[in-house]
Amino acid sequence: MKKQDKSIDKASQELLEIAEREGIDTAWERYEAMVPQCGFGELGLCCRNCLLGPCRIDPFEEGPQKGVCGATPEIIAARNLTRMIAAGASAHSDHGRDVAHTLLLAAQGKTEGYGIKDEDKLLSLANELGIKTNRRDKKEIAKEVAEKVFSEFGQQHGELQFSHRAPEKRQALWRKLGIMPRGIDREIVEVMHRTSIGVDNDPENLITHGMKTALGDGWGGSMIATELSDVLFGTPRPIRAKVNLGVLKEDEVNLVVHGHEPTLSDVIVTASQDKELIELAKKNGAKGINLAGICCTANEILMRHGIPIAGNFLQQELAITTGAVDLMLVDVQCVMPGLSSVARCFHTKIVSTSPKAKFPGAEHVEFNEEEALPIAKKIVRMAVENFKNRMKEKVNIPKVKMDLVAGFTAESVFKFLGGRYRATYRPLNDAIINGRLRGAAAIVGCNNPKIKQDWGHVEMAKELIKNDVLVVVTGCSAIANAKAGLLKPEAAFQYAGKGLQEICQAVGVPPVLHVGSCVDNSRILITLCNVVNEGGLGEDISELPVAGAAPEWMSEKAVAIAFYVVASGVFTVLGNPFPILGSREVTELLTRRLTEVVGANFAFESDPIKAAQLMIDHINKKREALKLKPVMYEKEEVLVK
Amino acid sequence: MHYVIVGGSASGINAIEAIRSLDKEGKISLISDEEFSLYSRCLITYFLAGKLTEDKLKYRSSDFYEKQKVEALHGIKAKKVLPEKRKLLLDNGRELAYDRLLIATGASPKMVEVPGSDKEGILGLRTYQDAQLINERLDKVNTVSILGGGLIGLRAAYSLHARNKQVKVIVKSNQVLSQMLDSGAANFIRRKIEQKGIQVMTGLAAVEFLGGKEVSGLVLDDGRKLECELVIVGKGVRPNLELVKGTEIKTDYGIIVDDYLQTNFPNIYAAGDVAQGKDLISGQSTINALWPCAVAQGRVAGLNMAGKKLKYDGSMAMNSVEFFGLPVISMGITRPKDKEYEQLVREDEKNFVYKKVVLRKNRVQGMILVNKIEQAGVMGILMRKKVDVSSIKEMLLEDKFDFAKILPIIKEGKELFTEREFEESTISY
Amino acid sequence: MEKIFCDIRKCLGCKSCEIACGVEHSTSKNIFKSIREEKKPRQRVIVRSTTKEPFPLRCHHCEEAPCIEACMSGAMYKDEKGVTRHDPDKCVGCWMCIMVCPFGAISRQESLALKCDLCPDREDSFACVEACPTKALFAGTWDEFKKRLGQEKR
Repeated sequence: MKKQDKSIDKASQELLEIAEREGIDTAWERYEAMVPQCGFGELGLCCRNCLLGPCRIDPFEEGPQKGVCGATPEIIAARNLTRMIAAGASAHSDHGRDVAHTLLLAAQGKTEGYGIKDEDKLLSLANELGIKTNRRDKKEIAKEVAEKVFSEFGQQHGELQFSHRAPEKRQALWRKLGIMPRGIDREIVEVMHRTSIGVDNDPENLITHGMKTALGDGWGGSMIATELSDVLFGTPRPIRAKVNLGVLKEDEVNLVVHGHEPTLSDVIVTASQDKELIELAKKNGAKGINLAGICCTANEILMRHGIPIAGNFLQQELAITTGAVDLMLVDVQCVMPGLSSVARCFHTKIVSTSPKAKFPGAEHVEFNEEEALPIAKKIVRMAVENFKNRMKEKVNIPKVKMDLVAGFTAESVFKFLGGRYRATYRPLNDAIINGRLRGAAAIVGCNNPKIKQDWGHVEMAKELIKNDVLVVVTGCSAIANAKAGLLKPEAAFQYAGKGLQEICQAVGVPPVLHVGSCVDNSRILITLCNVVNEGGLGEDISELPVAGAAPEWMSEKAVAIAFYVVASGVFTVLGNPFPILGSREVTELLTRRLTEVVGANFAFESDPIKAAQLMIDHINKKREALKLKPVMYEKEEVLVK
Repeated sequence: MHYVIVGGSASGINAIEAIRSLDKEGKISLISDEEFSLYSRCLITYFLAGKLTEDKLKYRSSDFYEKQKVEALHGIKAKKVLPEKRKLLLDNGRELAYDRLLIATGASPKMVEVPGSDKEGILGLRTYQDAQLINERLDKVNTVSILGGGLIGLRAAYSLHARNKQVKVIVKSNQVLSQMLDSGAANFIRRKIEQKGIQVMTGLAAVEFLGGKEVSGLVLDDGRKLECELVIVGKGVRPNLELVKGTEIKTDYGIIVDDYLQTNFPNIYAAGDVAQGKDLISGQSTINALWPCAVAQGRVAGLNMAGKKLKYDGSMAMNSVEFFGLPVISMGITRPKDKEYEQLVREDEKNFVYKKVVLRKNRVQGMILVNKIEQAGVMGILMRKKVDVSSIKEMLLEDKFDFAKILPIIKEGKELFTEREFEESTISY
Repeated sequence: MEKIFCDIRKCLGCKSCEIACGVEHSTSKNIFKSIREEKKPRQRVIVRSTTKEPFPLRCHHCEEAPCIEACMSGAMYKDEKGVTRHDPDKCVGCWMCIMVCPFGAISRQESLALKCDLCPDREDSFACVEACPTKALFAGTWDEFKKRLGQEKR
């Protein structure tokens, strides 16, 4: 693979060349070595769920067509996919649980590192959760909120509190289908039970429960993570920052945080501003301490503190390849075990922190919330002390960085559309109704060497905004679009259609809005609810002229997200198909029949432009169904299409 | 050196290629009494069925003779060999001198000798010309009687059925394909072709043909009369020996050849359906009038004519044919008469699967596979190499039987499995 | 001549070669599309097993190929590189080739014989060899294969 085929990112390309020269293997080389990948796996036709197997079904229908237990391709594909949902849901939910735990400790006064930064949000959550707030100490309230939220994980019957945020019509549908999640953990456990040998062997029944589990993530685990993070660390507000590997500094200590949870990264922000440590850095010959992030932990501190982002998923190894990273701190999720072998070529220290996630060749400094600040300081000190080991001749920081605006949320951004002082969704709804905006779309998800890095995210976003579709982004997609400059307000003039341009200009927002980390996809759900509640665009999410996409997805978390988004009524296009194409029935169910069940379905399309067209077509259909006015600045070519 | 080859079918063509692989310069002449050349006789029934066009009958491209530098004389019959004079007498009066001669004159259909057998419309089916004669008549034909239930008889029946004719097959023995199959397997084939609308009448023979100048029917030996406008005789073939009649060249049923395909005259060779040599399995002198045998013999004879001293292992009875999507392959002895033979049979009527292996002292002597035929060649190699199969006997008829199962046998029998490909597949085993 | 060899000791029976072969012989050459093609692509290598270990069964492109000798229609032939090729236009489905192939490496696709064609659409690689995750399948000459086995024994 040529470097231009690996990534559209200039910084990535530059470092890939260095990696190649130095003989450093990255995910791209490992992917190439892995190709062709196992066809049975790609098609979802292998099953290792019991020791009758491993079994695999011949997709060309020459060899075996049933597993030893008699499982058909349909059953095997459905079981595997449902397990992917469970794994993804558990990742987000465990993240949510950790944030709740931190809130509890903070409320109990057991940790110095955290306080309650957004009291308003705490109170409104308490109200929503049926917790008395009158004349009560906020710590008391916080404690009760944390305990109440904890119980949502283990709840055995009833309904998840936040699922009641969904439009009435949607809730009724979920109840009718039996997919209103009861407890977050409970549904995940049930997936594992159902998919074990000899339990649920009805593909549709399996997928249906998969949706229930995913809803427990989107309207449970993920939403809890977002809401409680806002309480603890503050609800983000629009903020300027910089992105890409060029944010690393040659003359400062570079500490890169990588992973997902905000609990540690947020105190690292505090620790890195510690005067004593900055002094120490200077003593060590550095001009200061530069903090930067990778993946979603980066998004968390970007959204709240404007900390620069070094890169997205596929840049974790490249960040080290700059030779300028003195320490990379990792917590959980999307952290490649391949990091340490890259780090061995440089002076970079990899420090793992979560008891759940240890890595070969990494130094482990275990994090606990009670001693958050001292631990954070210890890690920053390690980084500072490692600065002197930096090999000057090996330092190659690309001069590539980009400005961006981030920090949009369900509360902040859309209300802006009405101007700073009129907090309402009305203007957004009106813009869609009168056709200035065609609709809205979310682009989320990962990087995957199967698709040129960032190409899927960026091309799709450009195509959508060109067609007056407002785009919201999270996770690695947000970082990709940020690097491409689409998160700058000026991008509207360069790329957006006339209608969207007018709105961006009036409000002063970029045409692509960064709404946070991947658990913050829950912000998108809340936004959709708010749009429905504002009125004029139907009574259910599935009636809205909106669509979702994950053009470069790879993680099981993306599968869970995709399912809660579709089960919430949003048409979703995936760049890589789910590993289920070996089953006609499951493919048919997901790409067609699901519409009749939950009002939305999946599409698989690896070309981002074609995928964007699918989304636009869908949005147009929804506009038609709502009998909305024609899109104000409809282009001829789009009409012809 | 002047090589003369009589007969331009499988043996002749392959002999030419073999000679040319060793001798680029020698003169090669080919004499064939057929005008239409370089075609595969086995495809004649496909041609008659309308499944193949004339050009697809060609077994080699039309520039074959030119490329191989062969003087090809077509439509000329070699009448007699004069071994002492090393000359060949042609029907155009010419004499052709040779240094090495290959007689590959093949065989001709045996016709029936009963009253009325001289009527028009009673034909054999072997050559392109035979097929053309049948083709010419077909317009005025509704019903065809086929005499003989052998391979040619049934293939002819199949082709004419494909041309929408009413076809009846009259078989003297009480089963079809009696040279090739046992009654068990034959019944599967019979069932299949009858299912498709070809009538098979066993235990019967024609005793008289009816009609004027042209045949219009026949009388069976049970007294029944059958109407038919065409009769095809498929009662086996007889070697074409006219060429050697009255010479010192030794003949029996065919021309006798040794292990080098040489006749009793050192510079005269014979190959193909006319040559009688060693049967690989029984060791007896016989003719296995089969395409692959003719090809192999032509090749070996050609190489030996050009100076090699290559031994021919002997021919093996084997055949493969498909009727209406039902394939069948047989090899070697399929109907042992002796008690020394052991027979393993598996039958699955519903799926038209029939498998039989004939063993003697744990050596495979013959086999029949109906429908599931893919592993026929693996059994074939066990037969050829005459290996002890007691270790895998239980597996032979199972669907899982395949080449992988005989790896241990090959590994142990290196001195028998000398072809390099066997070493390739077992070297890491 | 360059062809495909197998170090049986390394074969894990994953059947990746089968899949790759099927995809290579599809119209789309894309796994996701190939399985939906109207005419199902057929693999020409089949992983069978000895009594215990897996074994990928395939055409050996024999030097003196019995299938060519037996083919009565001239469909089986050697190309200039020594590859045993099959011309579907000439094949009539008489199964003479199956009758004589000692490896049982020829199968039937309706009325046509089907066997390894050493990936004619590729420049210098074979789909199955590329797909083999353990490198049990090897592309090269017999001497190269022997050399490799020799090196690994050491």
